[in-house]
Amino acid sequence: MAIEVSTPENSQAPSAKWWKKADVKQTLLLWIILTPIIGYVGSEVQVRSMGAPASEVMASVKSLMRIFTWAVSPVAALVAAMALTTLMSKRHYGDMPPEDADHQIRNSPRASATWLVVSTLLCLFALIAGLVVQQKDSKSILDAKAMNINVTGQQWIWNFDYPGKGVRSEVLYLPVDKPVIFHITSKDVNHSFWIVQMGIKMDANPGYITEAAVTPNKIGVFDIRCAELCGLLHAYMQTKVHVVSQADYDAWLADRAALEGAA
Amino acid sequence: MTTLMDRPASASGEASSKRPLIERLNIFTALGLGAVSAIVVWQLALKYLPQNADTAFFFNREDKISLLSLIAWFVGFMVGIGALIGPFRWLMGKDLSHEENMFLAGKDQGVKRYFRYTTDHKVVGIQYVVITIIIFFVAGVLAMLIRTNLGKAGGGWIQPQTYNAIVGWHGIMMIVATIIMVTGPFGNFIMPIMIGARDMAFPRLNALSFWLIVAAIPPVFISFFTGGITTGWTAYNPLASQAGLGMNGYIAFICIFAISTMVSGANITTTVVKMRAKGMTWNRTPIFIYGVVASVALALPAFPVFFLSQIMSGLDRAFATSFYNSAAGGSGWLYENLFWIMGHPEVYVILIPAVAALMEMAPVFTRRPLFSFNLAILGIAGISGLSILVWAHHMYISGWAPLLNAPFMLTTELISIPTGMLFLVLVGTLWRGRVWMTMPLMSIYALLWNFMIGGITGIYLSDVPADSFLHGSMYVTAHFHYTLMGAGLTGALASLVYWFPKMTGRMFDTRLSWISFWLVQIGFNVAFIGMFMVGLAGQPRRVEAYAEIFSRGNMVTTMGAYTIMAGMLVLLHGVISSWRSGVPAPMNPWQAKTLEWTVPNPIPLENFAVLPVVTSDPYGYGKVQQ
Repeated sequence: MAIEVSTPENSQAPSAKWWKKADVKQTLLLWIILTPIIGYVGSEVQVRSMGAPASEVMASVKSLMRIFTWAVSPVAALVAAMALTTLMSKRHYGDMPPEDADHQIRNSPRASATWLVVSTLLCLFALIAGLVVQQKDSKSILDAKAMNINVTGQQWIWNFDYPGKGVRSEVLYLPVDKPVIFHITSKDVNHSFWIVQMGIKMDANPGYITEAAVTPNKIGVFDIRCAELCGLLHAYMQTKVHVVSQADYDAWLADRAALEGAA
Repeated sequence: MTTLMDRPASASGEASSKRPLIERLNIFTALGLGAVSAIVVWQLALKYLPQNADTAFFFNREDKISLLSLIAWFVGFMVGIGALIGPFRWLMGKDLSHEENMFLAGKDQGVKRYFRYTTDHKVVGIQYVVITIIIFFVAGVLAMLIRTNLGKAGGGWIQPQTYNAIVGWHGIMMIVATIIMVTGPFGNFIMPIMIGARDMAFPRLNALSFWLIVAAIPPVFISFFTGGITTGWTAYNPLASQAGLGMNGYIAFICIFAISTMVSGANITTTVVKMRAKGMTWNRTPIFIYGVVASVALALPAFPVFFLSQIMSGLDRAFATSFYNSAAGGSGWLYENLFWIMGHPEVYVILIPAVAALMEMAPVFTRRPLFSFNLAILGIAGISGLSILVWAHHMYISGWAPLLNAPFMLTTELISIPTGMLFLVLVGTLWRGRVWMTMPLMSIYALLWNFMIGGITGIYLSDVPADSFLHGSMYVTAHFHYTLMGAGLTGALASLVYWFPKMTGRMFDTRLSWISFWLVQIGFNVAFIGMFMVGLAGQPRRVEAYAEIFSRGNMVTTMGAYTIMAGMLVLLHGVISSWRSGVPAPMNPWQAKTLEWTVPNPIPLENFAVLPVVTSDPYGYGKVQQ
């Protein structure tokens, strides 16, 4: 049943190698042109849409997106190159079918094996790259010096408690360059705590406490949004995180503590 | 109700003057009896279910009443359509006579057979075409409402409550439409002929599976007007237990639909295993058959779980059980697990038959054999096997089991290997073929493009760190639209045009098929690339309002969505006009080699006068090399 890709015996050039055929040459040319285009456009469009990172985690997510796009671009480009070549070569228009192709190739062990090996390697590469980054990210959750903040989601606001400080706020203040662990829960339904520019997200489940860790490394104001549909005003369940210097943070904390003590 | 059924169809003297019961039941008696039973049970429950002063129990009472009415609707509808005649007569020891079976098969009934409990697989196939189009139309209009609302930043003109209900309704209707869009119309109409059978293994189950879907639709429509499915199609608990009475419509809808899927899965699997023509060994069975079987076989373990998850959800609502209520010892994570144990195989239930249909068409339109039939089977089997082991990638950031993230990342990324095989088969079949420029052929190119984007973005999403950023954002929405719509729907539309001549006896208008193809494909890519961008920029999904920074991307998506709608309307026009007055189709317009093209138009009741004997696979195209 399997007929190998081979030159017909009555062909005048039995020595003609498969890579010398016109359609193969065209495919290779397209492949060489398309690979960098797909890699560049795919990664730049995505990474630039993601905005400036405000943490190491987000920076590594962005580099992962870039690496993955470049890693798969040769495969995507090959499929595109083959598809374009076939589309440009023997088109037939009309209501009646074209004559049959001049071969009966049902298989190509070489092509199949190469394809399988390459896709397996790419798959393993993606897996290992992901695991390495995940390992790096999850280390900070064990950091003994990290500060703890309790996050409570409820329809449709976020509350942040600073344990031991007696402070509760609806806006998050964080000192820059200090690891922080969020202990996240919910009062009613599922929410998802997402600090967009820091690349972390963790569900808030009623009855359970989940954890997420990050070290903000940039001073500024960033977005917190709820990423799990939580009812009527889900779209409006958002707040800001202010990342400030340690001195500003201490001042804010003292202010808030005094305010709440007075109340 | 039993007294109605009691009367033998033709035996008693009284019946001889009238038409027997079996001939009088149709969609109208079904709708009538369903509505009457629902109203009667509703009124009875209102009157007799104990009142409770406790407000918490008041809601339970309302839920009980609405669930009971929905069950009554379902039973009434199924009795009214005649689904119970066969089982009941069998129970009485008076099985259906030959004439009655021929009546059920729709012999000599013209258009009326499409409104009855008809067992002929060709009638069921056409019924599925129509119901799929209706569901797509409604869900498509809802999509337009969503996109119109999201046309500009900062909240649209739809109230948040209504908006959430529209999103949930759009989601679940589209999921159901895409699940049935290939295995329903083409799995029922084409598949039995393609394997050389006279009908399905269980013709009555076939009719049952279709009428169950019809029975399931009114609950989900009614639910929209009683509070709506405000939870998204996932209906996560505890949000679902908090939602209004509309959730009961969702529960009823899913339960009935799950039964339909299970019934049709058992039927199609049995048909393919037992009823293939003589000589049609597994090596000679067309790849489309593999796709259909993989799809329904995958649904067999998946949908009972969905069914169960909704029964539990209903019990939580109506009887204050605590499967999902963490305050009383349950867990929302239990629901998430059950849901995605169904939910991930389900996307491949949608995708596999659509890709397999395009694989079936590829050799026909390139006039060369399918490239590597074995890799195609391995790819389909590999995806099916792995897809039941990947569900928790929807729960990476739920906090349920962080230690399981790495194993689930492994299984998920492994799926890219069998998926890659499908790409190789398609592109390998195009390679060195004659490219016959038709809409189904171009759909293969469209699928390669869309599925490539959907697949690669799936790799990002399968990666735990990247998913921690992307999860729950518009990026995910764009990704699954690329796979389910860009790949799945593209395959289904190609199937419609490809098999239209056999199903209706008329050719699909070529010009309209091209116009619709380009509008849909261009609109689709504009819409969802825009959606990828806003997702990357940080827009959560299912939001009714968004910040100013997302407005450009959303505007682009909305314009793309209108283009898709225009394309789909052109297609609908094509379906209606070609069906009514298209060019009469020859027996085998594409000169294809599968068995469905060997039967005449219109197809006789039992398809084949003489059952065919198969001596080779259907991919013997191409000139023999000397």
